[in-house]
Amino acid sequence: MDKLDQELNSLFAAYRDAIPDPEASANFMPRLWGKIEAKRSFVYRLRKMSHLAVATALAACLLGGFLVAPLTSRDNQIAGTYVDILAEAHADDALAATGGVRIDLLDGPQK
Amino acid sequence: MLVEFEQIQKAKAGDDAAFNQVIVAYRKRIMGTIARLIGRPEDVEDVAQEVFLRLYYSLDQLRTPEVFEPWLYRLTVNASYDYLRKQRRRNESRMADLSEQQVMMADASAGGKANSDQNHRTQVKELMDSLLGSLSQEDQILLKLKEVEGLSLKELEQVYRVKENALKVRLFRARQRVLKLYAASQESKPPDGKLD
Repeated sequence: MDKLDQELNSLFAAYRDAIPDPEASANFMPRLWGKIEAKRSFVYRLRKMSHLAVATALAACLLGGFLVAPLTSRDNQIAGTYVDILAEAHADDALAATGGVRIDLLDGPQK
Repeated sequence: MLVEFEQIQKAKAGDDAAFNQVIVAYRKRIMGTIARLIGRPEDVEDVAQEVFLRLYYSLDQLRTPEVFEPWLYRLTVNASYDYLRKQRRRNESRMADLSEQQVMMADASAGGKANSDQNHRTQVKELMDSLLGSLSQEDQILLKLKEVEGLSLKELEQVYRVKENALKVRLFRARQRVLKLYAASQESKPPDGKLD
């Protein structure tokens, strides 16, 4: 087995010699830099587009906020206190009509 | 190291001229490794370009220049493995024209060497390809890095980021398998059927 091991080792060495380091062609570097530039410009364009998309989304959010905010704040506008609003919403006669308060009790005890 | 640490630092900082020098220094070695890993000389340059392209766009992730070489080997292994995976997906068997290409490459590199030299190289390559063909692509690459490229276990540990013992076991099994096949091929061979 040792002999075979040695033979295999020399076979690996021969394999290395059988495939020597190849020389690069003359246009290796220009092609490589062309690929680098192409990817670089693609990445640059992608980055620029993503920045534009973020800016547009932000502007749309702000615009939406400006348009919607006044409408919602007007609906919820409170003029006066809670009691004032209650009083305004339920006048005395209206309260009596609901039957919640007896009118005779309001006039004092009957004899 | 084929270049100074300072050169790698400059390239990392975005100096294109320094990066150019790093490529020129490592190009031949990397192309040789790729040639022996993928076994298709006509595609070596494309895979090498992929390695250096990946290097350019990931150089900023390199922590220290000291680990540059194992890191470059890792990129080489990954690009070669990606290439082999694509080839397997295409399900192409081009062993016949591989031999032809090998002869052409030997012609180009050896110049006026005798035909017997070329035949010997072709025979060695075909024998090794058939022996290594019994292994998975991962194991083939690992074994070639160790036995053909001559990387140490420490270097392989850095390339694969795997514990040395795990690599030892894997390498031992792969080598044993190749050895068994080699022994079988020697037994079945006629007595005078040795390689030239």
